[in-house]
Amino acid sequence: MASALVVQGLSKSFGALRAVENVSLDVAPNQVHSLIGPNGAGKTTAFNCISGFLRPDVGRIWLNGQEVTRWPPHRLASAGMARTFQITKIFSELSVLENVALAARSRDGRNLQMWRRANHCAAKEQAEEVLRTLALSARTDSSAGQLAHGEKRVLEIGIALALRPAVLLLDEPTAGMSSRESEHIAALIRKLSSRVSVLLVEHDMEIVLGISDVVTVMTQGRIIASGSPAQITRDPEVQAAYLGTAEPEFVS
Amino acid sequence: MRVTRDIGKLVPLATATALLAGLPFVGVGEFTITLLTEALIFGIWAMSLDLLVGYAGLVSFGHAAAFGLAAYSAGYFAREVMEDFFAALLVAEAVNVLVALVVGFVIARVSGIAFAILTLCIAQVLFTIAVIWRSLTNGMDGMVGVPLPKIFGISLASGTAFYLLTVFCLVGVYLALTRLVDSPFGRTLQALRASEERAASIGINVHLHKWLAFVLSWAVAALAGTLMVFLKAGTTPMSLHWTESGNVLVMAILGGIGTLLGPVIGATVFVFVRDEFTSRFQAWQFVFGLVFVVVVLAFPTGLVGLLNRIHGLRRRTRSAGEFPAVIKRIRSSLWRARL
Repeated sequence: MASALVVQGLSKSFGALRAVENVSLDVAPNQVHSLIGPNGAGKTTAFNCISGFLRPDVGRIWLNGQEVTRWPPHRLASAGMARTFQITKIFSELSVLENVALAARSRDGRNLQMWRRANHCAAKEQAEEVLRTLALSARTDSSAGQLAHGEKRVLEIGIALALRPAVLLLDEPTAGMSSRESEHIAALIRKLSSRVSVLLVEHDMEIVLGISDVVTVMTQGRIIASGSPAQITRDPEVQAAYLGTAEPEFVS
Repeated sequence: MRVTRDIGKLVPLATATALLAGLPFVGVGEFTITLLTEALIFGIWAMSLDLLVGYAGLVSFGHAAAFGLAAYSAGYFAREVMEDFFAALLVAEAVNVLVALVVGFVIARVSGIAFAILTLCIAQVLFTIAVIWRSLTNGMDGMVGVPLPKIFGISLASGTAFYLLTVFCLVGVYLALTRLVDSPFGRTLQALRASEERAASIGINVHLHKWLAFVLSWAVAALAGTLMVFLKAGTTPMSLHWTESGNVLVMAILGGIGTLLGPVIGATVFVFVRDEFTSRFQAWQFVFGLVFVVVVLAFPTGLVGLLNRIHGLRRRTRSAGEFPAVIKRIRSSLWRARL
């Protein structure tokens, strides 16, 4: 089966700093592919290059077989690549429903309609459905800025889901969450992978190993290993690079 | 359901329109009517700014450009070609939209302070042109001799007739803009205000939307500029000056941005306060400045927010704790200035 997302030879430098060097990824359909590595490994830079927020110096990207290299973010999103942000970015002055409905209308290409009433679009029902899936229905009419941190992180994912993407890029979805909330997110990602391919940047090792089909490890801008969670945990280079020493608790 | 709700919204608007339109017939003097005409024209202008500031989150410091340019175009056309109001309006619209399309294409690439400064630059460029190009604009002395407008061949000789035309325009613009901000496009603008990055990540073409908002704003302002040049029978470069851009921003913020109705109220308060104090002492802006500071600090949602609080109408989606980011910034700098 054709890959959902292919990244080939991606490099990005900031002045003398080579943030990402020759990174290649292959995300298969309906898989959870995780990108891990210590701070400063270049994960987020790679992530931003893939989602169009940074322009890679070299490298090519394909989405569902179509080359999308150097496409702007909004075009990528319309083509089926949705992303979330490490630091929560939601439309905080708008209602929870409107946050999701905006994305649904965008997917339907209704953004430029000036005369029809927004609430009369089919997007509203679709947004309600997304909120039900995420168990956020109770907060439908709340202002998004008033949600608890954990709820905001879930809403982040909800906005992305309303695009009905082929590939979902999640940038540390459990950042700042309690362990119970993190488990909830992990279960959600696993569930989503039946409909969408996921590229996940995550720090929480337990989550990564628990839900990933493939794990790719980066240090200092380069990929040092890629494989199943079991292969990765056994890889001595990963153990050395990622933790400094081969800690046994990493395996458990 | 939907029909009754729409009627529920229309009744207060129809009442307000009837009240406004009835004023000249219940003994309100001609001087007050002229003042009110000016206030409502400023109201249309302030609403056009609200679309940018209150909805798209783009603070323009050069909105006089849209007003003055239209005033000059409509005035020149009316004097040299024909006095028809709609023809002059059409010319002003064409000029404004054309300039906004070109200028906006560049300006829509930036946000925040850069947007404010670039809009200011455009207005100052137009101001300078109006001063220097004497053969066309009569320089600092201003354009004079703009005739009374005609509508369907009938000359609007009386102040009352022109006032009624202004009320008609104001209500029309208000209806169209309330509809617009509630449309998918309007909601998208509000998304940009919150986060342009997030908007781009859900497939919104940020540049295109900001560009269109800019052009629409200038198109609405063209109506205000056209009305004003007929009301004053002329215009001067001061209509393009940065102090005017500041005034319209103050009107919008005073009334409450992001509400459309607020800027109209703000404009009315502005015009009447100016009239009251300008004859008593020169530094009337000082008084107005004080009013402005008090409103921003005490009632961040503007006079409309204050009225809403008094009447306990809590249907508005924005709670008191979540007033616009622009206001937050002004407030915090004011508090800092106090220390």
